[in-house]
Order: sequence, then C-alpha cells, then structure tokens
Amino acid sequence: MECTWTGNQNKLPNITGYWKKDGNEIDSRLTVPLENEQYNLKGVFDIVGEESLGNYSCVFGSEAKIEFVLAAPQMGEVRDKPIVSYAGDSVVIACKMEEPKPKPSTWHWYKANGTDKALIDAAAEPHRYQIHSEGGKSTLTVRNLTQADAGFYYCGAVYLISTSLGRLEVRVITFLEPLKPFIAIVVEVLVLVAVILLYERKSKKKSITGSQKTKKEKRENSGGEESSSVRQRKV
Amino acid sequence: MTKSKEETPSEEAEGPDGGVWAWVMVGALFVSSGFVFGLMRSLGVFFVEFVQYFEESAQAISWITSIAVAAQQFFSPMGAALCNAYDARIVVMTGGCLAGLGFILASQATCLAHLYLTMGVITGLGWGLVFTPMVVSVMGYFTRRSALALGLGFSSIGLSSFIFNPLFQLLVEKYAWRGALLIMGGLSLNIVPCGALIRRQKQSKAPAKVDSDGRSCSARLQRIYRYLELSVFVERPFLTFCAAITLFNAGYFVPYVHLVALSRHVGFSEYQAAFIMSVTGATDILGRVVSGWSAARGCMRMVHILILWTSLTGVFIILLPLSSMSGSYPVLLTVSLLYGFCGGALTSVVFPVVPQIVGVERMMGASGLVQLIESIGGLLGAPLSGFLKDVTGNYLASFVVAGSFLLLGCLILTTLPRFFQCRDPPPSSETFLG
Repeated sequence: MECTWTGNQNKLPNITGYWKKDGNEIDSRLTVPLENEQYNLKGVFDIVGEESLGNYSCVFGSEAKIEFVLAAPQMGEVRDKPIVSYAGDSVVIACKMEEPKPKPSTWHWYKANGTDKALIDAAAEPHRYQIHSEGGKSTLTVRNLTQADAGFYYCGAVYLISTSLGRLEVRVITFLEPLKPFIAIVVEVLVLVAVILLYERKSKKKSITGSQKTKKEKRENSGGEESSSVRQRKV
Repeated sequence: MTKSKEETPSEEAEGPDGGVWAWVMVGALFVSSGFVFGLMRSLGVFFVEFVQYFEESAQAISWITSIAVAAQQFFSPMGAALCNAYDARIVVMTGGCLAGLGFILASQATCLAHLYLTMGVITGLGWGLVFTPMVVSVMGYFTRRSALALGLGFSSIGLSSFIFNPLFQLLVEKYAWRGALLIMGGLSLNIVPCGALIRRQKQSKAPAKVDSDGRSCSARLQRIYRYLELSVFVERPFLTFCAAITLFNAGYFVPYVHLVALSRHVGFSEYQAAFIMSVTGATDILGRVVSGWSAARGCMRMVHILILWTSLTGVFIILLPLSSMSGSYPVLLTVSLLYGFCGGALTSVVFPVVPQIVGVERMMGASGLVQLIESIGGLLGAPLSGFLKDVTGNYLASFVVAGSFLLLGCLILTTLPRFFQCRDPPPSSETFLG
C-alpha cells in the first residue's frame, strides 16, 4: 500500500511516517523525505490469512492520516426481510456475489444454532438439503420444512484470505395463518350475498302487494285510463 | 326505476337512463372491474417468487398471465351467450366463483403446469364470464349516459393497480406466495355479490323466436347461433367496427409495455420512468371519467367521440418517441400524461357504440364477440412492437406503427354507414343498417 501527501504550509524537508494496523503501530517509524513537493510512504505487507485483514492507516507526523480497509469482498444485497414458507413445503434461499467482485472459490452454508453456526452438509442429507453453487451465485434448498428449520441461515463465500458471510432469515408457518383472513373474507362475501338476495326478496314482496293493491283499485275504478304503474314497477 | 315512471312517454320510448338501481350497478361494475383487471395487472408481483421457487425461466412464468388474459377474452362470447340463454346474474356469480377457485387451487400448486391450469385457464374463464355480462348489464340501465356509467365503472381499473400492487407485495412478504394466492382467491370471490346485484330486466332470448322442440342437432345449432349472436358477422357495420377495434388493440397497449424501456433507453433514471407510468395511470383514470361524463352530455355522436379520443391517442403515441428524443423530461412527461388521458377516455366510449351498431337486443352477444376478435390485435401488437425494436434498435418505429394502427382504425370507422350524420339515429330503429 502506498500513501502520498502533499504536505502543509511548512514544507519540512523530512517528516516521520509510520503504519498502523487496527490502531496499533507496526514496524518502525521511518523518515520520509520531501520529493517533488510530496511525501511518499510505501508499505509492503504479506497477506497470510484472516489475521492480515483489518484497518490499516499510514500516518505522517501528527498531521495526516490515510486509512485503508483490507477485507474480503462483501456480499451484495441480501434479502433482509424473512423468507416465509410452509411446514412440509420447501424453500429456496439464495446468495449472490455480483460482478465485478471476484468469485469465491466455493460456497458454504450454515445454520445458526444459538450463537454458533453449524455447517450444512448437503451430501449427508440429500433429501433435506440441496446446495447448488455456480460461480458468484449459490442457492440452498431446504425440503420438508419443520418449525425447527426456522431461524437464521448464513451463506459463506469462501476466499483464500477469509470467508464473507451473508445472513438470511427463514420463517416457517402453517397453512392456518393465511386461512384465517381467507375465511374472514369468505364469510364477508356470503353475508353480502345473503343480504342482497334477502333485500331483493323483500322489495319483490312489496311490489307484488303493491301491484295487487293497484289491480284492486283498477277493478274498483270503472273504466278509467289504463295505469301503466304496474308495468313500470316490474322494471 | 322511479325515474322512468316520471318520464314523458316519448322519453320512455328511448329507454331507461338512470335510476337508483342503475347507479348501484355502476358500483358493482366498479368493484368487479377492479377485481378482474386490477388483479390481472398485479400478477407481476408473483413473478420473482415463481421464478425462484419453480426454477423456471422468465418466459415460462410470464405465460401464466398471457394464458389468463387470453382465456378472459376467448371465453367472453361464451359468457355472453350464456347470459342470452340463462340469467346474467347466475353467469356472473359463477364467474366470480371460478375466478376465486382458480387462485385458491393455485395456492396448492406443485408445478408450473398447475399454475397454467388454475391461475391461467380457470381464473381466465371466470373473468370471461364476469366482464362482458357486467358491462352489458350496466349498459342496459342507460341510454344516453352509458358512457358515463362505464367511465365511472372502469375507473377502478387504474385505481386497483395502485392498491393491489403494494397489497400483494405485503401479502407475499407475510404469507409467501401460497398464502397470498389463497387470500387473492378470497378477494376475487367479492365479484359474486356484484353479480347478485344484477336484476332481470328484459326477456331473455330463450322463448322468443324459434322452435322449442330443440332436441335435434340443427335446432341446437340454431340456438347456439342465436345465443352467440353470430348473425352480426354477416353485417358490414359490425365487421367494420371489429376491424377498427382490433387495430386499436394492436396499438393501444404498446406504450404500457414499452414506455418504461423507452424512458430508460433515452437515459432517464428508474424512478423517473416509474413516475411517468404512475402519472399516466392517474390521467388514465381521469380520462375515463371525464370522457364518460362529457359523452353523456349528448353534444356529439358516440362514434365521433370515439374517433376523436382514439385519433388523439394515436397522435400522442407517435409523439412519445419524438418527445423523448428531445431529451427533455417535462416534454416526455406531458406527452405521456396526454396519452394516458386520451387512452383512458376512449375506453369509456367503445362499448356504448356496440348497441348503436347491432341494436340493443344483440348487444350482449356482440360485445362478447368483439372481445374475442379484439384479442387478436392485442396478441399481435405487442410482439410486433418488440420485433420492430429489435430490428431497428430503438423504439421510434414501434411507437409510430402503434399510433398509425390507431389512426388507421379511425379511418376504417369513418366507413360506417351514415357516419357523417350529425345526430345519432333514434334508438328505436336501433341499428345503422336500415
């Protein structure tokens, strides 16, 4: 890693520079000369494993600090809302490391067990778990879900230096849950239909008795014009 | 119905035009149209879920919606024929039950074919039994104001996509797609009370003309011929109308399919493109209501009004790619607003023209047939516009062709007999024919 600083008003010919990792000084302090109006500080670090990752900073005197974060590629957007599925059904959960981030060498899936993570071995239980990994994408299919399968799952994109984790939540519900609002709606529909049909029966009865009354009146009236009210009420 | 009592005899001959129950029916049309077309437009919410769960391609999943739409249009004449033979109320209530059943069964699907059959065929069949009968039943309560009634009734189509899209998103998050489909099935059952509101108005066609010793094959065929109203096919005005409406359909949906892509193609952001669609949807609702209301004033003939709105829609469709090329967002937005308004406006006046062409008695069967034939336009229009875009590399050709389909349809409509008269022919003489 290389840091370049253009300095401040007092262009001192020499300045002390050093590297820090996670807040702790590493290596010895160096004297950095001013070259071409710049101070250059270069550090070479061997990345051996997970311990090599962290926050590196280069410091110039007590004035300037530049920070680097050395980490494995972070997982892209992972669904933060819980994935819902039904007991007895299956669920497919997916993780993606999208372009242009480098593809992991392999993928691992874990199920959260309290604060621990248990590796899921698809080969050992092929009827329950199925892992399909292809480059930057990996899906885990869990079949025959039970309540015990609910909880957090972790997908791990494995790189040489470390593993990048993504967290997904799975919720398992029974069919009774959506059934409740469904039945409420069906009841509402039946009530509406009953109300409508009853209302119509009532108003038909009224018009029948009404037309019977006017028929009687017609008979009582000698001659007279033909009342068209009967015909119209039927409409 | 009390209103018709107070009308003078000459107005009575014109037919009913309102009344308390008529507006109740408009409300029923509002609700049922919302549940048919609003649901149809919101099926996209399940797209991602199905692709992941069934591990199928996007194209295979999109067939579900295509089958449902095609079934609705294909079964429309059958729905109309059943109304002629039996009672519109029974038909619509059955349709509502089928539509709900389709979704309920779909919630139990274990493979894609199940979804094609349940969400596609059964629900589409149910919708076909609902839409045309409801529209024609409502039109039976109105003469001059049928456009207003339909405009108000159809305004739910735009509104319901605003409501159903986020609602279904929420249902999927809470209950997964199976639970969401189950609840959608329940919601679709609300069409049944809408159907229950239909009251018998006229004599059904069953007794009227022909022999009722209809056990023989020819008598049965004759009855089917009458119920399906196939006699309209030998009349030039109806064929002219069908040709025009088919062309309308070929062009009308192109902006709905491609407008977002056009906006993105020119460089606007996702949010800007989505905003254009939302606003177009809003003006669509407004256009339906305003056009229905102004058509009901009776200042212009219904056919002329239809041509007015359709030609404007065609012009604005052609202007859409041109305005996008100007690079200015407000210009594209304005043209889209105008397209939305005119596009919605023409939908209110399409159905009211049908009884003027074939007569009030044949309006049910004819409307069903129109739905079936216009579906050809819809089926051909979208792929054609996609093909033109692939061949030319931009959307200019697709939109120009779509707009010209609409303008061509308008020209065809001018060949209707007695088109250039200023007044509608009196309804009692019914048709454009004699």
